[in-house]
Amino acid sequence: MKEKVKEVKMKRRWGMAIDLDKCTGCGKCSVACNQENNMPIFEDDSDVPKRVAFLELMKVTNDRDAKFPDVKTAYLPKMCQMCEGNDPKNPNPPCVSVCPAVATDVGDDGVVSQIWSRCIGCRYCQTACPYEARVFNWWKPEYEGSFKKSLSTDVSVASRGTVVKCTFCSHIWKRERDAATAKGILDINAVLYTPACAGTCPTGAIVFGDLNDHDSEVYKLTQTDRAVRLTNPVDDVKDADKKKSLLKAKQFTNPKVYYLTSQQWLRDMMRFKKNS
Amino acid sequence: MRRSLLLFFTPFIIFTWIFFGISQKGCDSVMQADAAKKIPFNHQSHVEKYGISDCTTCHGYEENGRFKGLPTIAECTTCHARDGVLTSDDQSIPRKKPMFDSYKDTDQPWESFAKQPDLVYFSHSVVMTAKYDDGRLKARCGSCHGDKADSTGTKMIKGKMLMGQCMDCHTALNLSNKCAVCHD
Repeated sequence: MKEKVKEVKMKRRWGMAIDLDKCTGCGKCSVACNQENNMPIFEDDSDVPKRVAFLELMKVTNDRDAKFPDVKTAYLPKMCQMCEGNDPKNPNPPCVSVCPAVATDVGDDGVVSQIWSRCIGCRYCQTACPYEARVFNWWKPEYEGSFKKSLSTDVSVASRGTVVKCTFCSHIWKRERDAATAKGILDINAVLYTPACAGTCPTGAIVFGDLNDHDSEVYKLTQTDRAVRLTNPVDDVKDADKKKSLLKAKQFTNPKVYYLTSQQWLRDMMRFKKNS
Repeated sequence: MRRSLLLFFTPFIIFTWIFFGISQKGCDSVMQADAAKKIPFNHQSHVEKYGISDCTTCHGYEENGRFKGLPTIAECTTCHARDGVLTSDDQSIPRKKPMFDSYKDTDQPWESFAKQPDLVYFSHSVVMTAKYDDGRLKARCGSCHGDKADSTGTKMIKGKMLMGQCMDCHTALNLSNKCAVCHD
């Protein structure tokens, strides 16, 4: 007798909204991310090709040669943008299809995962990523003194020769799920969590939540006029029919990380438009 | 002709055999297939004679849902008291065990056979609380660990837990088999 087993569907679609008007560029998100995900410590963190960090805090200026009254600056925390492709129900990020080792995959909650122990270090995904959100471990991870004893046990340390990236701290989701089951909550969709960067932001610029839940704060923020996604040209098209035909004709990344800003020069810059 | 062919392939065969041997050994040591068990333990007598039928009496959970794994000496000495009697006619009194004397309360003198590599996030509490619609549990301790409750020694009875075993169960129960469900 074949038993029918009820399938439990994950309804969540995790997304993030980062308010660039609120961001002061303190870098706390970057520090928290590195600590949570067992990032190695390097002698010189300004050495960009050597550094390994999931979250990069970028400083953006309107013009490199601008003089005092015209110069404008903003800070942009850039992590994996969790692309989902054109269809949220059938996510198709650019990095997943190129991986020959199935080390990167899209979870049921829309989070693009990366298993660094499975990675063979071919770096196809790094090439495919339009946001340069993936980093390659060129050197063996090293930790000063007794730092290795304080590493988080939930995250494995990435060895040399693997590609790593932000996974929206999915180990925290697993931890929260453990805590929920201990309290007797067995529904997979009842578990909420906060990644390290969103939890530590002192100005509350980073908001994390469920994009499928229309009452959540993050969904409301993404529906405002201030919301902009990094270099996703389909967002600029206002006409619904044209948008539909564009989506049919071409794959877009459609990231789940939204940036909120009211400054026009920054919006233009994030869409690779020429400065107006 | 045939003999020379065999001679030609002998080094390759030997090399492959040694290579597989080494990788098997490495896999075993990572998964702790020969874990140290310094103190003998009889599951059968504890379960059958003394009526500890619930596994979580010794292999319980932390408050935040994490599995404790092997018990500490302190948990053994709650019954086998350090100042208890050595021999007694009454079967219901737990005796003092002199082998605990050389251990501190926080020691765990056993190592687990079922040690998973660092990249696996296995949640005992989630797996053990998953239920069918009619209230039956989807997994029991025995489905992965074998009939440990009926064993009299500390030998490994179900083998190393490989990813295929987890995935077979997940497929059969229509659960998600995505990488990030268990891996980090």
